[in-house]
Amino acid sequence: MASFHTVQRETLFKNPSSTSFGVPALQKITAPHIESFNALFASKGGILQTAINDLQATYVYDNPEGTGTVIFDPEFIIQCRERLITYQGRTEVRLNWKINDETPVSETKVVGNIPIMVKSVRCNISDFYPKDLICHHEEAEEMGGYFIINGIEKIIRLLLVPRRNYVMGIVRPSFQKRGKDYTQYATSIRCARPDQTTQTVNVHYLKDGNCMFKFSWRRQEYMIPVMLILKALVDVSDKTIFDHLVQNETSNTFLTDRVELLLRSTKTRNLIDREDYLKVLGEKFRIVFNSLRSFSDAKIGDFLLDRIVLVHLKSNQEKYDLLIFIIRKLYAIVAGECSPENPDSPANQEILLSGHLYGMLIKEKLQEYLYNLRDEFSKHFRHSKKNSAMDITDPNYVTRTLNRMKHETVGQKITHFLATGNLVSISGMDLLQATGYTIVAEKLNFYRYISHFRCVHRGSFFTEMKTTTIRKLLPEAWGFICPVHTPDGAPCGLLNHLSSSCQVITSPTNTSKLSRILFTIGVLDLSHSGKLSKNQKIVHVLLDGRVVGICLPDVALSIANQLRVWKIHGNNDIPKQLEIGYVPLSNGGLFSGLYLFTSPARMMRPVKYLATGGTDLIGSFEQVYMNIACLDEDIIPGVTTHREISPTNVLSILANLTPFSDHNQSPRNMYQCQMAKQTMGTPSTALTYRTDSKLYRLQTGQTPIVRPEIHNKYGLDSFLNGTNAIVAVLSYTGYDMEDAMIINRQSHHRGFAYGLIYKSEVVNLSEKTFKFKSNITRHFFLGDDVGDEIRTILDSDGLPFIGARLTEGDPFYAFYDDTKGVTRVKKYKGPEIAYVDQVRLLGDDYGESEAQKAHIKLRIPRPSIIGDKFSSRHGQKGVLSQLWPQYDMPFTESGMQPDIIINPHAFPSRMTIGMFVESLAGKAGALHGIAQDATPFRFNEENAAMDYFGKQLLSAGYNYHGNEPMYSGITGEEFHADIYIGVVFYQRLRHMVSDKWQVRSTGPVHNLTLQPIGGRIRQGGVRFGEMERDSLLAHGMSFCLQDRLMNCSDYSQCLICQKCGSIFSPISLHHQIQNRKRTKHHVRCCLCDSSDYIVHIKIPFSFKYLATELMCMGVKMMLEAKP
Amino acid sequence: MNNINGGSFSLGLNNNFNNSDPFNGGPKPDIIIQELDSEKIKFILTNTELSVANALRRLMIAEVPTIAIDMVEIELNTSVLADEFIAHRLGLIPLDSMEAEKIKYTRECNCSQYCPNCSVELTLHAKCVQDGQSLEVCSRDLQSSDPRVSPVLKDDNDKGILIAKLRKGQELKVKCVAKKGVAKEHAKWSPCAAVAFEYDPHNRLRHTHYWIEEDEKKEWPPGPNANQEPPMTDDEPFDYNATPNKFYFTVE
Repeated sequence: MASFHTVQRETLFKNPSSTSFGVPALQKITAPHIESFNALFASKGGILQTAINDLQATYVYDNPEGTGTVIFDPEFIIQCRERLITYQGRTEVRLNWKINDETPVSETKVVGNIPIMVKSVRCNISDFYPKDLICHHEEAEEMGGYFIINGIEKIIRLLLVPRRNYVMGIVRPSFQKRGKDYTQYATSIRCARPDQTTQTVNVHYLKDGNCMFKFSWRRQEYMIPVMLILKALVDVSDKTIFDHLVQNETSNTFLTDRVELLLRSTKTRNLIDREDYLKVLGEKFRIVFNSLRSFSDAKIGDFLLDRIVLVHLKSNQEKYDLLIFIIRKLYAIVAGECSPENPDSPANQEILLSGHLYGMLIKEKLQEYLYNLRDEFSKHFRHSKKNSAMDITDPNYVTRTLNRMKHETVGQKITHFLATGNLVSISGMDLLQATGYTIVAEKLNFYRYISHFRCVHRGSFFTEMKTTTIRKLLPEAWGFICPVHTPDGAPCGLLNHLSSSCQVITSPTNTSKLSRILFTIGVLDLSHSGKLSKNQKIVHVLLDGRVVGICLPDVALSIANQLRVWKIHGNNDIPKQLEIGYVPLSNGGLFSGLYLFTSPARMMRPVKYLATGGTDLIGSFEQVYMNIACLDEDIIPGVTTHREISPTNVLSILANLTPFSDHNQSPRNMYQCQMAKQTMGTPSTALTYRTDSKLYRLQTGQTPIVRPEIHNKYGLDSFLNGTNAIVAVLSYTGYDMEDAMIINRQSHHRGFAYGLIYKSEVVNLSEKTFKFKSNITRHFFLGDDVGDEIRTILDSDGLPFIGARLTEGDPFYAFYDDTKGVTRVKKYKGPEIAYVDQVRLLGDDYGESEAQKAHIKLRIPRPSIIGDKFSSRHGQKGVLSQLWPQYDMPFTESGMQPDIIINPHAFPSRMTIGMFVESLAGKAGALHGIAQDATPFRFNEENAAMDYFGKQLLSAGYNYHGNEPMYSGITGEEFHADIYIGVVFYQRLRHMVSDKWQVRSTGPVHNLTLQPIGGRIRQGGVRFGEMERDSLLAHGMSFCLQDRLMNCSDYSQCLICQKCGSIFSPISLHHQIQNRKRTKHHVRCCLCDSSDYIVHIKIPFSFKYLATELMCMGVKMMLEAKP
Repeated sequence: MNNINGGSFSLGLNNNFNNSDPFNGGPKPDIIIQELDSEKIKFILTNTELSVANALRRLMIAEVPTIAIDMVEIELNTSVLADEFIAHRLGLIPLDSMEAEKIKYTRECNCSQYCPNCSVELTLHAKCVQDGQSLEVCSRDLQSSDPRVSPVLKDDNDKGILIAKLRKGQELKVKCVAKKGVAKEHAKWSPCAAVAFEYDPHNRLRHTHYWIEEDEKKEWPPGPNANQEPPMTDDEPFDYNATPNKFYFTVE
């Protein structure tokens, strides 16, 4: 039962808890961000530590260097936001080095400040609860998950990337262009190292049956015959490879033929054992890897296998086994035995988490830092040949040199990444895009803010794709990605949102026990493959991309079931985050196998397991092969194993907030998701401490009477987003045509939908003087030269008084300039009346020098005016067309007059029945004083919403259908029809005429073309284009056209020579000007050398400009001028 | 007709009305007051035209002059609410307007901005000094310069309408100027909240058409004034010449 929970909210508000959050669900919204960031610093096996262990020691001739631990030490955040600086922590790196075989020496260096995610383990407020948060001027239910860069809140966007450690078959015609003999068939696997960095490798099928192994290194692509890699990995005979590939399918001639070809292909090279193969690899890649001369070819070959080939696996044997599996799958796809995967399907995708990306970036930047150190040292060595002062053996030498180098660059680069979202990387980090990684967490209203944390983007690479297949809503997305919450237009289907129940796994888990258990319940070792009877179908068992073994198909099914039961009950230490994807044998389906995943970054969601009633966390891959009922009545006995916890789980938070969305036409719900994010609402509960450049606020917000369950769950009563309005659906006065709406003027007087905007103005005195820091020459104070007039407006510090009312041209702030010895007064420029809300002086980090920055927060009142945009929660937007007087508004028999009148024509084509139901529910709720539950899918045909609320209305003495007889406010006569009137929650959207109106009579013009300039801010004009011109011509208004467009605006005069027809040849001869008289005879045509044919004409200036442009291109324009 | 609560009154609109209906020489308009208390009046107006009845309704909403705060000078405001927001709240506080007739409209007064003839000054000064508890500033705290014009309060215990809540150290000091005005100009001068107006509760005149899905009696519960007139019988003939002449008002 829905309720307003007024008392609970008040107690929470009055006594904020210091031990728990009032709204725990809010904290979960940012979990994927914070947890993944925390995983960087986990005490055991933190990603950052793993990454640093993985960093390559760099060598300068023979001087190896390595790195050690990273230590963070952050400062307090609220200051950062208010002072417009970055919330960051000092980062230290321990450098270890040794010279030849001496004992290693280490030194700690600060590599700059690295921005820290708010509420992560490294953040000061990570363990704060509402009470402490409020004390520190934070939001009471602060949920973190973002970074603060120069006072702006930035989020690293979640990205959809291919599922890690899973072999995907891909058929793409463009692969044929990769080279001779290439076909459209390939397999691809995105391998993830323990430190979450990835390396994608492909295996391509060639027309001759051979396979090529493809990888990219520093954005360059390389191909190697797959046999080279197989043989370099382990010492195997051709016979063994044949056995492994063919297994027991000896009668599959397609397969055996291909394998034979594959094996033959390397025979020409005359290589014998593993060492030979390694040498070949090393030799070819010596230059690519920029290896030292002292390294052997075999060592470089090993490096390639270690760093690039299937990096998620440790041992070469494991890599070999998987590579065999990959080739086997590739052949199966080519043969048509199985179908390729769809890379756009969420089943084959996972999420690139912000913390993981951040860790990858830090790793890369540290690696770069080491390379830079190496280069510095090698430069020294080169110079040392001339300079004998250098002595490597001197223990202080390295320290001395290190001290001279720059170390802070790492922090700067990472801050730059967060500030711009641009990824500057040598390796490309196995990602498709270079820009657009971060977004600003706008606090336009709270709804928009929370959906930033839940949004997943497909990648900016796909935004330019012409095909729309990637944008499609696939059935595999069910429950993970919201089908409703995506914008329309360019980003449609690419920018999605996680469903409300979807979680993202953030930490790895130990799988060693799991793989041992697998062998006890029927998985066979790979060596059994040859021993099985001929043509007995087998399936592979893969755990996180490692081939564990094989088993028989029916055994695989029972293993999958057994694992699921254990997982739900927590038996045998089976992790909850295990995904058990059993792909059964099929004719033409996906390549069968038992695929187990425990890795982080996967999307998972809870569903109910019917057999035991427990909750099962399922992944997007396994979901496809499961039988999950949506409702109880959908359960098919013996088939269905799971049931949705709630049918609303598939919707995102915002989509869930649309009341009775199941009654609406689907696109309307999408529009509502958009409009909820554009609403003027309550962006924050700590408004006083916010310094955002623009904040919208609704002064008179209300809690909706009709609200879905989720409204309370996320504590959205603290962030009001609209007003309950009495809405009558009728056609009245004609001012409600075409989606316009009439608002009751007296409701408006009483504060209906009154909003304001907070705007920030940053005054920076030092910026305007010099780039580099020198003496401070400007000070915040009023000098003696300022008159009393200004002193009454500005305070003696040169800043405005709090509460002062500013109109255009008023003194805004002033400062004293030492260099000229005068006080300079700056004026307020905005066209609107503003009130000074707050003034802050911003000093430097240490508070030692004089403050040079001030932040002035202005408050601009925005009462609703004609032209402002409103919408209900059903995608029904409208423009305020008239503030109609109360006494003229229609009224009911009880004297009720609507706040809003909308036109009935808004409904038939849009079919937003949900709005009607909301109106009924709102009316009944208001009459009975109850909150109405508007969760979708609660009503059905048998138990209709209309009936439920109609009965409530009847019991309150109102018409069952929500209609009431109404009277015209103008004549007092009863309307012929009774009117549908009820209570609907209305949102005021941020699009307001005050920001959009544009008007101009005369004004600035472009100085080259003399055409009016464009742009609202610059007082520009609105283009009167060809189509507008055509319509005037079509009306026969050519004189008007000439008058407006030529005589009154673009008129110009010039001289023309009638003989040669040029407007440029007449030249005024100055020396002939005598007695200050100038007749036309003093102008000569320089082509005809005569003054006789020169006449004045009037032409549009733009024509003259055209002639000039043409002349510049060598085109002569001749005009015929007749009197 | 049963007079529930008092006798009948004639409308004091003009002299003509006292004698007879000016339009058709019929009986003079009548008002029967049914209920009357400090917040609500319920009456029936008879023997007049619909236009007159509606005019009465419109006048009650929009053109009865009252007194409301019109100008606010904010001397000090350290509360969390914005100046203009407090001013708006102050404006909507109902003031006792029994003496509205004795006060001039500012536009009709000789003074330049406002003077005691056309305005009443109210002041408010509140500061929270208590620790950990917020102070509620209510309309009772408004000190009027004219005891006849002061915020409307129910009884001595009524603190009035909440204006703002102050935390320790916050202070609010304002000077308000109340003026006479009509609700046409701004809703704050409206003397009533809503005017209920009904005629012909049984739809005898067939001005309206009730929407019915199945059964009118089931879907349309009787209106508030339905018991005042005999219900329609099924065989009642339709008199298309009839005009409404009995109007049920409830004014809050």
